[in-house]
Parts: sequence; structure tokens; C-alpha cells
Amino acid sequence: MAQLTLDELRKKRKEAQKEIYLREGKYKSKIIVHMGTCGIAAGAREIVSAFLGEIEILPEKDVMLTTSGCAGLCSMEPMATVELLNLPSVKYGHLTPDKVRRVFKEHILGGNIVTEYAIGIGSEKGG
Amino acid sequence: MLCTGTGCVAGGAFRIKETLENEIQKQGLEKEISVIITGCNGFCGQGPLLVVQPDEIFYGFLNPEDIPFLVQEHFLKGRPVKKLMFTPPEKKEPIPLLSEIPFFKKQMLVVLRNKGIIDPEKIDDYVARDGYTALEKVLISMTPDEVIDEITRSGLRGRGGAGFPTGTKWKICRTEQKTPKYIICNCDEGDPGAYMDRSVFESDPHTVIEGMILGAYAIGVSRGYIYARTEYPLAIKRMDLAISHARDYGLLGENILGTDFSFNLEIREGSGAFVCGEETSLIHSIEGKGPEPRQRPPFPAEFGIWDCPTVINNVETWANVPVIINRGADWFSKIGTETSKGTKIFSLVGKINNTGLIEVPMGITLREVVYDIGGGIPDDKKFKAVQTGGPSGGCIPYSMIDVPIDYESLTNAGSMMGSGGMIVMDEDTCMVDVAKFFIQFTNDESCGKCTTCRDGSDALLEVLTNITNGNGKEGDLEFLEEAGNAIKDASMCGLGTTLPNPVLSTLKYFRDEYEAHIKESMCPALVCKNLIKYYILPEKCTGCRLCLKNCPPGAIKGELKHIHIIDQSKCTKCGTCLDVCPTKVSAIIKVSGKETEKITGIEEPYPVKRREKEIKK
Amino acid sequence: MTEKVGAVAVLGGGISGMQAALDLAESGLKVYLVDNKPSIGGVMAQLDKTFPTNDCAMCTMAPRLVEIGRHKDIEIITLSDIEKIEGEAGNFKVILNKKPRYLNEEKCTGCGTCITNCPTRNKVQPLEKTKVELEPQYEEKVLEIIKINKDREGPLMAILQQINSAFNYLPENVLKYVSQEVGYPLSHILMIATFYSSFSLVPRGKHVINVCMGTACYVKGSERLMERLSDVLEIKENETTPDMLFTLKSVRCIGCCGLAPAAMIGDNVYGKLSTKDIPGIIEKYKTMG
Repeated sequence: MAQLTLDELRKKRKEAQKEIYLREGKYKSKIIVHMGTCGIAAGAREIVSAFLGEIEILPEKDVMLTTSGCAGLCSMEPMATVELLNLPSVKYGHLTPDKVRRVFKEHILGGNIVTEYAIGIGSEKGG
Repeated sequence: MLCTGTGCVAGGAFRIKETLENEIQKQGLEKEISVIITGCNGFCGQGPLLVVQPDEIFYGFLNPEDIPFLVQEHFLKGRPVKKLMFTPPEKKEPIPLLSEIPFFKKQMLVVLRNKGIIDPEKIDDYVARDGYTALEKVLISMTPDEVIDEITRSGLRGRGGAGFPTGTKWKICRTEQKTPKYIICNCDEGDPGAYMDRSVFESDPHTVIEGMILGAYAIGVSRGYIYARTEYPLAIKRMDLAISHARDYGLLGENILGTDFSFNLEIREGSGAFVCGEETSLIHSIEGKGPEPRQRPPFPAEFGIWDCPTVINNVETWANVPVIINRGADWFSKIGTETSKGTKIFSLVGKINNTGLIEVPMGITLREVVYDIGGGIPDDKKFKAVQTGGPSGGCIPYSMIDVPIDYESLTNAGSMMGSGGMIVMDEDTCMVDVAKFFIQFTNDESCGKCTTCRDGSDALLEVLTNITNGNGKEGDLEFLEEAGNAIKDASMCGLGTTLPNPVLSTLKYFRDEYEAHIKESMCPALVCKNLIKYYILPEKCTGCRLCLKNCPPGAIKGELKHIHIIDQSKCTKCGTCLDVCPTKVSAIIKVSGKETEKITGIEEPYPVKRREKEIKK
Repeated sequence: MTEKVGAVAVLGGGISGMQAALDLAESGLKVYLVDNKPSIGGVMAQLDKTFPTNDCAMCTMAPRLVEIGRHKDIEIITLSDIEKIEGEAGNFKVILNKKPRYLNEEKCTGCGTCITNCPTRNKVQPLEKTKVELEPQYEEKVLEIIKINKDREGPLMAILQQINSAFNYLPENVLKYVSQEVGYPLSHILMIATFYSSFSLVPRGKHVINVCMGTACYVKGSERLMERLSDVLEIKENETTPDMLFTLKSVRCIGCCGLAPAAMIGDNVYGKLSTKDIPGIIEKYKTMG
């Protein structure tokens, strides 16, 4: 890729924002699996493949699956954050592939938060 | 009211503010509507956010382009804009707001603002969260001196532990005549129990890169190194990827963003030597020399890598730089205490309910960290101490739990800030054993250059080993103190001068535990193997054979439905029996000191039924 | 007590050698005290005080020096190297190589004038080197690694790291080869190779098990994990199983403190381990081969 100039960087930012804030585009929900070393050690890879398996069988691929770094609360790993369009995100902890399938069905497809596994809703406070 | 928490600022809150004010002015509404900046409300995932009072209408996911429409519709015509409205979640109890959960509530995310939100392997994610805007700002509107000045005014101090003012360090290096100059990011996070740097690399590598580019611009440097531990393969992989992405975008390399400023960055790996976290030793390691520290001064800022002026900063220090540039020194210096500004990341681990990585403002008390954020000690055990600062730090006892966390207070308490490991210990931790553990560590990692460090740690270790083996004698404690202070005075680098700290601080606060080991041959925490014994309580054993089957040395005698006994001469005190004994039975106990004499075991296994008969009688 | 026969050679005339010689001579044995330096005394003769007791070094040493010089049963042989030792306990034969002094020891006063006036004193005297050859399968790989890194600043670390991961350890021949090709003295390479804990000079197993001994893991009982592993694998720490499958090591901290106690097998991290999990995990790797 060619080097960017200042203006091009700004343009790039705007485009990227669309994706990260889940505003426009084809996706209506987004799953973030937290994959730092500790997440992986606790089994985050299995969680990713479980989510992938569920997305695979969807007729419409409107669920975005992405990974991210450690979410901080290592004792609850593996964790994932689920975001539906225009709704606050929900963090799930202590996940297993079975729990993943339930979260996928009830929350992502059905829109109902699986309260038993949820740690909290919204996001953390910034400075 | 416009949220300007770190999350929303990263999402572009300030640009929203600008457009909002312009638009309001355009419509002539200045008198009726005022834009107020607020702190974070916790819905950062939806940021940038806006709340319109008095109607309490939430707008989320704002873009500057939305503002004119919003102002026209809502403020002029009084119609709230549905499309932009943020729908508050339905109140369904057991799910609390994340920002209200104690673990998150007292934290303040500055360096970790992007953790868990962006994909660290995509540069676009970082750019979207206002990444590299600080770089834009600096390249367009700030001179190098202004950047240094901003950092100096912010009061940022080295996050590696020693707390040297970052701005001053940069200035020294900038004023050096000799060229070329270098900058280095120290990610040789050797302290056991600390993993902040790894986490920053793994969750947001670009913030470190941006910080380093800014530093390079300010100091006048065109080459930089990142020195990372080889024990962190994932962190290195992500950082490597991030560097190549930044290079693709022209954020690293020649003529950055079309200006005449150039900067190159490369990763160097360590190979597992604790002392390489020391800056002069780290430089030697990159150069391929024997990684022993050398005498300072001259400091690396004057005489560093390849004998050129070099600024070495910790990962967290670099990661703070873009935020300071973006939000200003004034904002940053409002956080924290008089002498320690900003936030600090700690890895809160050990015997604590919520283990994890936390970022808190300086000045928060240990009590808040342990009990509010950490959620207290598991299984209702008693809190004993917090160990901070890794092998160079000390243990802070319960009596000092209200000490505020800043550089000076921790040093006064006999510990130090260190890189940010915070290990909580409960009543089951033996302080003598912990001291021995750290001395073993430093003894192993001492490079061997100074006699005091090399042989002194040997001497300390020998005495500590004697004590934990039950062979301690009168005068041992005095010797530990004397030798400890001698090592402190006579060693050269940070490793040697701080290595006695764990011993000295535990001696100061937990002398009674040492004395119990020496005088009564007792380990109050039931840890030291030579001083404890395992017993099976005859009145509780059900004869299930679980412990018998699992005992590695085969020291347990018994048969099904017979009360088991441990052959003390064979027992290696591995504790497996205690682990496998079902909790509802819990027939196995550990005892130490005089207690061992009180327990009278049985001689031979006998049927459980016989005991029941005896009880009936 | 039986009468003592024979003689004892004490090799090294430092403070410990001196004391040993004295004790032996006092017990009635003939002692030869050998040192490769021109005089006995060793390092302690250069010190002011000794650690940790802060005793005066010379006060400790001087009486022994005098006593040795006077003892009828101690013969001092300086400037001598050991050429060969043969025999067995109780009957050794030691062949020494006494370096020439080119002066009459009887008359020398130790003034040092000859040293300062020696015309060849500061000339470098190169050693003759024999060329190291590698087996072809090694050579290709090593040359490639050297080629990638040669032009970087400070290439040695990277070269050693890559060799270490390519062969799973640092073979002696390869190090000699690197020394010859890149131009670092072998002593320097060995200094680096032995300094860092992730380098190994002996072959390691296919799976390196690193038990984390960081503080968090330690207080949560990683020592017991190590014991259990050592039981199951029937090797001690830093050893390799005979089938070359496993090497057991401890590591300082793998930064997985939230999941303490942890261990790393290869690049895979296992968190929240208990001694009960260990046999199963090892079995899994064994079937994998």
C-alpha cells in the first residue's frame, strides 16, 4: 500500500469508524472474543470456533466476529462481548462452547440477553 | 451534556463538540443551549454520547455530520431525532451496568482505553478510535520543544517503577549534541506477577507505536527499538504485525505522512534474563554484549545504545503519551496526587476474587483496590499482605492497607511502585517462604558482577532456607537485617540495591512469623514442609481409598471401609491427599509446631464400622 | 592411627587452597601446592575486605602465607599448569607443565623492571585456529540464519535465538562455526549463551514444559505442579526424558497471573492447573508423539 498523507489518514479514519461502531454496512451484530494470552489459555480458541460454527449455518452472514485483547477480568475468562445494532454491549464470562450456542441463539438471533452468563451490560468508564 | 470520557474522546467527542457549538451558533441558540462537558457515563461502547436536558434524551454513536441535522430537528423544531437516539437497555435486573460493577467502577481507563474494543491486529480499528490523531496534531501544529513541554507539564513519570519524570529525561536527551539518538521501549517485563506490558502489546499495540513516534519527533530521533521478552510470543507477534501495518500506512518509515520527519522501529527479543529489564543491561543485550549492567552516570539519555544518547521508557509510559498530547497536560495532571499524576495499570493477582488487569488513578488506596475492585479474598480467608514491585518491592501488611498508591507512599511503606504487579496474600501464605522465594529468584537472576549481590543473596538464601527447614537459630534475623542493608548499600544496579527489600519488609512487619519458625519450629501458615505434618482424623475418615490411590509415594495405609493412616516416614508432604479428600468428609488436616504433638493417630487401620459402634456406646 | 604415606597435590593457591594445604600438612602429609600464577594468594590478595563479614582480607591471609612459606612439608610450585592427571583415588600421578621463568629464582627480588622493559609485552600473539566444519544439513541452515542477520546492528542475539529455535538447543559445533563465520570470540558467544535461560547447550525434548514460578503462581502452589510433573515424567527439573519427548523446566513468569498456577508446553499455555490435571495432559502429548 502506498504511504498515506494526512488527509488520506483522516478519510481512512472515517471509514473505519463506520465499521467499529456498527452503524452502517451489512452487519447487524458484532461479537468480540477477548483473546489475550490468558484468554487463549482459558480456551478462547474453542469459543471462537463455536461462534464460527454458528455463523456458518446462518443463511445471512450479518454477524461480525472479531477478536480483541484482554478485557482485564482474567478470572472470568474466556469472555466475549456481544453488541447488537444500536444497543449497549453485553459482556459474557466463563464461556464454554455450549454456553456459546445458547448465547448465539437467544441473544444474537433472539435479542434476549442470557442473564445467567452475563457479567454486565454497557462498557467501562473512561477517564 | 457531552460525554468526554476517554472512550468518547477516542471516538471523536471533541470534534462533535466543535461542530455542535458551531451549529448552535449558526442557529443563534447560544443563549438557550449550552454545551457542557461531562465525565464518562459508562456507555463508552456507544460513544460519542450526548444527553439533552431537561428531557434526558440520549444520543449515541454520533458523527460530526449528524450534528447539523440534530440541532435543526431537536433544538429548533423540538423533535428528538429517533434515528440517533440511544435506546437505553430494558431494565432487567440481574444484569448490572458494567460501569456499576465494583470491579470496573473504580477503574479509570486511559492507557487501556481500547482494551477489549479494538482488534489489535487491525490498524483501522485503532485509527477509528482516534488513533494517530495525536501524531497529526503534533505534525501540524506543535514543535518538538512544545511536545516535551507538554509532557513535562503533565507530570508523567516513568511507569517502569522508578518514577523518573519523563519530560526531563526527554529534554536531557534532546539537548545532547551527539547524534544519532535512539529511543527504546522496554517490554522486558521480568517481574513475576506482572503482565501489564504484555497486555498492552496484545490489546493495543498501536498506542505504544504512536507514543514512540511522538517521542521520536520530540527528541529528534530516527531509530527506535522495542525490547520484548521471548516468553511473550503472542505479544511479539501482534506488535510485529502492528509495526508492519504502520509502515504500510506511512506512519513509520521515511517522510511520515508526507512530512520530512522519518522514524523507524524494530523489535529485539530478549532470551530470558531478568536483569535485562535494567536499562543499561538492556542496552548491552541489544548490542549483543554480555548483558551486565554498568555504573550510572552517565545515564543512557547521554550515553546509551551504540554509545549514543538514548531514551528508554517503559511500555506504559509510551502508551500514555498519545493521550496526553490529545487531551492536554492540564487534563492529565488533574488525575492523581500531588507528585504522581495520571493512572497506573496493575495486575491484581494472587489470593483474590477478581484477578485481572486494572487501571486506576494514582492515589487510590490499597483497600479500595483489594476490597472494591478485587472483591476481597476467596473463601473468606484473612487478608495478610500485598506484595508490590516484584522482587524489588516489599510486602504491605493489613495495618497499612489505607496507604494511597503513589510513588512516594509506597516507598515509605517499605515497598515500591515497581512495574505494577500486585500480589495479594492471605493467611495461607507463609511470609518467610515468600521472602525465600524472592531471594531465590534474585539469586538466580543476579548477573554476578557485584559480590554483594551475588554472594550476599547466597548468604541470605542460606539463612532463609535454614529457617524454613526448621534449622533457624538465634541471631539469624539480625544477620538478615545486617547483610540486607550491606547489599543495599554496596550493589550497583537496581537489581542488587533492591533485592533485600522482600526480606527487610517482611522482617519489619511479620517478625513474629520468623520467630515462630525459629523458636517454636512452627510455620503459622502451614506452608514450610519440614515444619508441618499431615494427619487423617480417625473420627472423620470414611475409608473411601481416594487418598490412598492418589498418594504419590504410597505413604497411606488402609483398605476399603477402614480408617486410613499416613506413614509419616514415607510422607513427602505433597498435599495430594488433602486435595482429593472430598470436601464433605475433610478428614485430612495439616498441623505445625506444638500442635503436631497433640494429635495422636491410630496405629493400624481398622474398620469404619468399629468406630461407629464405639461412638454409639 | 596408621602412619600417613604418600603426598597430596593441592591445585590452586588461593585462600582455600592455602588453608587446605596447611590442614593437610599439619595432619602429617607432604603437600605440593600448585598454582598457575607466579605467586600464591589468589583473588583474596587483591581485596581489602571480604563479604559478608567485612573481615580484613590481608589479616586473614597473611598468617597463612607466612605459615606456608615456613612449613617443612609444603612445597610451592608456581607458574605451573596441570598437563595430565592419571590413576585413581589413593594413587594419582600428576604431570605438571612448569613454565619457564627465564631468570634465576634464587636471585630475583621481584622488582618488576623486566616486565616494564620487555619489548614484546604489548604485541598481539594470535593463536592458530583450525577451521570448524559442519555437517551439510546443519551448515545450510546456519549459513542462512547468519545471512539474514549479519548486517543488523548487534546481530549475535538474533543469530543465537534463531539457532536455538531451529535445533531446539545450541550445538557446540554450531557455536564454534558461528564464532568463525561472524567473527565473535567463542568465549563471548558462550558468555551470552549461558547467560540467558531460554538458551540450552544440551539437546532438549520435543515438548519443553515450562512451569511458571512467578509470584502469583508460586503462592497458588506451582511448586506442587512441578513435583507432580517430575513424578509423572520421572525426571527432575531441567532434565529430558530418555525418549526425547519432554524437557521439564521452570520459567520466571509467563504473564498469565490471572490464571495461576500456569504452565506452558511448547507455545500452549495451560491455566488454573491442578495436580490432578497433569497425568491427563502428559498422556495427550505422549499419544501425539
